[in-house]
This record gives sequence, C-alpha cells and structure tokens, in this order.
Amino acid sequence: MAHPSQLGFQDAASPVMEELLHFHDHTLMIVFLISTLVLYIIVAMVTTKLTNKFILDSQEIEIIWTLLPALILILIALPSLRILYLMDEINDPHLTIKAMGHQWYWSYEYTDYEDLGFDSYMIPTQDLTPGQFRLLETDHRMVIPVESPVRVLVSADDVLHSWAVPSLGIKMDAVPGRLNQTAFITSRPGVFYGQCSEICGANHSFMPIVVEAVPLEHFENWSSLMLEDA
Amino acid sequence: RLFFRHKADFPSLRMLLTIRKQLRSHPALIPLFFFIGGGTTMSLLYLARLGLRNPDVSWDRKNNPEPWNKLSPNYQYKFFTVNMDYSKLKKDRPDF
Repeated sequence: MAHPSQLGFQDAASPVMEELLHFHDHTLMIVFLISTLVLYIIVAMVTTKLTNKFILDSQEIEIIWTLLPALILILIALPSLRILYLMDEINDPHLTIKAMGHQWYWSYEYTDYEDLGFDSYMIPTQDLTPGQFRLLETDHRMVIPVESPVRVLVSADDVLHSWAVPSLGIKMDAVPGRLNQTAFITSRPGVFYGQCSEICGANHSFMPIVVEAVPLEHFENWSSLMLEDA
Repeated sequence: RLFFRHKADFPSLRMLLTIRKQLRSHPALIPLFFFIGGGTTMSLLYLARLGLRNPDVSWDRKNNPEPWNKLSPNYQYKFFTVNMDYSKLKKDRPDF
C-alpha cells in the first residue's frame, strides 16, 4: 500500500509494473532535462543586456531543433508501445478468477475446479485491529499462488466499477454485461492493496481490493478451507 | 491551344514545383516534411490494418458476418508481441 505523503509509485510486485516504473523513470528524466534547458534559456533571455535586431533566419538551428525533438519523441514512443503490447499478452494462465463488482463490495469466484465464491467487504474503521490499514482491509482476501500467471475476468453486477491494484500495475473497468480480461504474475509473496477506481455511488471509496500472494501449498490449504466453510 | 494545356499549368504540379523551389532556399523544411509525412503515413497504414485485419470488423455482412468467431487460440491478431509466441501455444479446447 502507499505510505503517508507518498509521491511516487508503490513498489512493483509484478514484472509489468517493474517495466512501467522504469519507463516512467526514463520519461521523467527526459522531462526534467527539457524543463531545465527551457528554464535556463528563459533566465538567460530575461537577464541579458545584449540585443540583435538583424537576424532573419538560420537553417542550421532549425534543422537541429526539428531533428532533436523528433528523436526524443521516438525514444519515448518505442518503449511505450513495447510496454503497451506487453501488457496485453495473456500467456497461459494457471488460474482464472472472476472479480465481480457490486455496490459496494467485490465478489470473487474461483470456478476452475470447484465452485468457490465469496464476498469481500471492507472492514469498517471501528472494527480494525491494531496494525491493520484504514479503508484498505477486507474481510476476505483474494488469495493467489505466487509466481503463477493468473487471469482475472472483471465484470459488474449493477453499475460501473473498476478493479485496480497499483503495485501489480492493474486497472480494469468492471462494466455490467461485459467481461474484461487482465492477467498478471506476482514476482514475490505479499499482500497488495487497491481501491475501486470508478465512481459507483455512496460507498465508492469504501470497497477496497486485497490480493494475497502465497506459496502454492498455502493456496491449496486456503481454498480447501474456504470450500468447507461455504 | 484550346485542348492542350501546358504541363506547368496544372495546380498540383505547380504546388510541387513551388515547394521544390522553396526547399532549395530553406533546406530546414526537409526534416519537417520527412517526419510529418512519415507520421501521417504510419498512422494511415495502421488505420488500414485495423480496418482490414481487426477481427472485430466485418465488411461483408453476407459472407463474413462474425469474423471474431473464426479465431484460433494460436492466432496472433496484435501487431507486435514482446514475449509471446502464439504459434507455440497448445490448443486445449474443443472445436465448434
């Protein structure tokens, strides 16, 4: 989750998010360089006593300041398109989970082998135990095996919602009557938080998403326990 | 003289000749034409690819009504893949 007054991205928990982080660093560096150059030029123009009234044109500098920005834009566009296509690849998921948005909770269905389904409501602030995160914890977490490709089919039961987990680099709109597919791999075990990202009514801010990545044996124990409880 | 016009009277040829004359005194315009022309060409080519190759598009409703039903799981319909080789995937689902 994000720590207080955090400005940057959360630590990446999936390879796609790592790529996004590095691309962001690359592009932001270019933006800083250009802004510094422009700021320097502005200060230089404003503080100089020199004037020149006789320059009409200069072909050489025009060529330079056409070629250089085009080159910079290509250097930004190529990695960007690569990540765009990378994010769309669905490579043989081991598990498919359906995440359905309701007003105002998520429900998860693991129907590959047995019929496992449960709802995931936010834990109200007055019921939190010490150490839990306000407005982010849920009573049931979406548990997945770590380092396994997982496919999530996102849809909604009533109005628009959006299933988002920033540290996995995922945001997928939940549209009633439509199935949206997204896939990810967690690179490390852990608990990853997200919040509903499409305005959906009074409790839109109070329907978080919690993904817990555990080793495969723990996942199998958990799913057996959940099936018994159901 | 009523039926034959001089080659340099056609408006499109006039425009090109003017551009060529101006380019000789302003060669800085050459990169501009190159990038704008290249960008426009690439956009139009991609639009054409979308119109002709996208499985969501059906031009001929009688003979090819629902092209999105004709995809096999090995079919790569995206322009570019980074890590995936779709032809190597196993097809483990029933035929219809």
